[in-house]
Amino acid sequence: MNKYYCGFLLLATTVLTALLPDIVQAAGGPAEMLVVVADSRRVQGGIVRYFVDSYNTNPLWFGIECTVITAAMGVTFGLATDFVMKRIGIDLTSRKIVEH
Amino acid sequence: MEWYMMYMPIAGIEIFWPGLVLIGFAVGCIGGFFGMGGAWMVTPGLNILGFPMAFAIGTDIAHIAGKSMISTFRHSKFGNVDYKLGVIMVIGTVIGIECGAQVVMWLERIGKVGPVVRWVYIGLLALIALMVFYDYYKATQKKKAGEVGEHGAEGITWYKTLHRINIPPMVHFKVAGITCSAWLPIGVSFLTGVLAGFLGIGGGLIRMPALVYLIGCPTHIAVGTDLFEVMISGLYGTFTYGAKGRIEIWAVFVMLAGAAIGAQIGTVATKYAKGYGIRIAFGLAVLACMISIILKQFKIDMAATVLILGAVGSICVYICMIMFRGAAKELRDKKAGTANAA
Amino acid sequence: MKRNLLVYVASIALVFLIAIPAFSAEVAQGKTVKYDKDNQSIVIEEYDIDITPQNKYGKPTGKQLTFDLKEALIGRTPEPGDIVRIAFKPSGKENKAIRLMNVSKQDIMKK
Repeated sequence: MNKYYCGFLLLATTVLTALLPDIVQAAGGPAEMLVVVADSRRVQGGIVRYFVDSYNTNPLWFGIECTVITAAMGVTFGLATDFVMKRIGIDLTSRKIVEH
Repeated sequence: MEWYMMYMPIAGIEIFWPGLVLIGFAVGCIGGFFGMGGAWMVTPGLNILGFPMAFAIGTDIAHIAGKSMISTFRHSKFGNVDYKLGVIMVIGTVIGIECGAQVVMWLERIGKVGPVVRWVYIGLLALIALMVFYDYYKATQKKKAGEVGEHGAEGITWYKTLHRINIPPMVHFKVAGITCSAWLPIGVSFLTGVLAGFLGIGGGLIRMPALVYLIGCPTHIAVGTDLFEVMISGLYGTFTYGAKGRIEIWAVFVMLAGAAIGAQIGTVATKYAKGYGIRIAFGLAVLACMISIILKQFKIDMAATVLILGAVGSICVYICMIMFRGAAKELRDKKAGTANAA
Repeated sequence: MKRNLLVYVASIALVFLIAIPAFSAEVAQGKTVKYDKDNQSIVIEEYDIDITPQNKYGKPTGKQLTFDLKEALIGRTPEPGDIVRIAFKPSGKENKAIRLMNVSKQDIMKK
């Protein structure tokens, strides 16, 4: 395992050294903020429009929304597929976590 | 717009959505099968499909948060988590993720985020491929020599040295059964957090061995604590990348749908998998992914897309085949069993 | 299990209820005609959403719009000729911009 770590450090150092001059040079260039505005003209109403609007008006709220919705989506999909699999006759709720 | 393209309203791009489903499905499948996340293919995959790099990272990390919720809910309560250790590590993880995300945003401002993240990924994937092939080589050597059962953890005791670091506060972790300076887990989680925030991965690939070798956690505690940490890092990463406006929530939705189905197939397939052949397929997929990033770096976009989708697609087909063959055999055996009993 | 599910559904419903106070904003895109840094205002020639390979930012409508940028988050500084996209709240005579994205200058930074 320590070989892997050494290898990783070596690779990381090589990559960074290779890129560093480029980055330092670019850092002197334009460093203005990048602002993205979602084009709400191209989406129809409803939930997509709501998200796009909240993205454009309140980024912090959009962050909270993303977190909650992603978590909810994860749980919903997990439950739904577990339900389907149970119907087929395969129970995965007691599976072991496979180590790597 | 053609039927196979989907408009992503935030990044303002049109994406080949079957590719998104395939990547989501593949991550679920590989994650379910190998027990380790396949997040390493999501950021490059999304970037190759046309997402700007910062969006690819943010979307990947959000998708990890969703996926970790699936596994958390499935295990319903965390078995084998040292909560004290977990909570202390959250400090490092959150600060680390924020630092990683800030570096990404800075690189984006100076216009270098694409190449830098791609090269770091190339390094990371080369390492993963090396690990997989080395493990395969070791396993075949051992098999030849007639040895069975190996676990590399015993030989390395770096944590013993690290435990001697005597910077207060010293903390005793009851479940893990170790005493060390609180700064050790914070430091380890900070570093993995930076990497997770920078690359948009869960960090389990690095955190797991770090917990075992650097902190001295028993392996089963490391697995549980890592799961907990992946969830926290995913959720915080989603929040911070969301607030920075670098998440395409529709892509997360499409990928999670694919991942949920893939995870089930992958998990069932583990029941029937035998031998090391699949590890070679995995290693090859990692290599193919690495090559496609290189192609993307040199703007050979079409070849990169075909290669990465082909590679992850074929490993999915392989895992699905294992599952369907195994399940069919089991059903046949069951039938034969009942026929015999009758 | 059932209780868990109920708590889970209820919490999502609650979040959506909280989310109802709508964030409404309009978006306009077009070519910068004049950018006044001192007075914090910008005039653009509006483009439509008829996007084709020839007109990847849309076609000019000929209409000129003025935006107040005092409270806006501005990305790359716009110059006359740049294509910009602005999220704004229409309030009476003046359009109050919330965010300004310099589309033509950011395009190259994207990949």
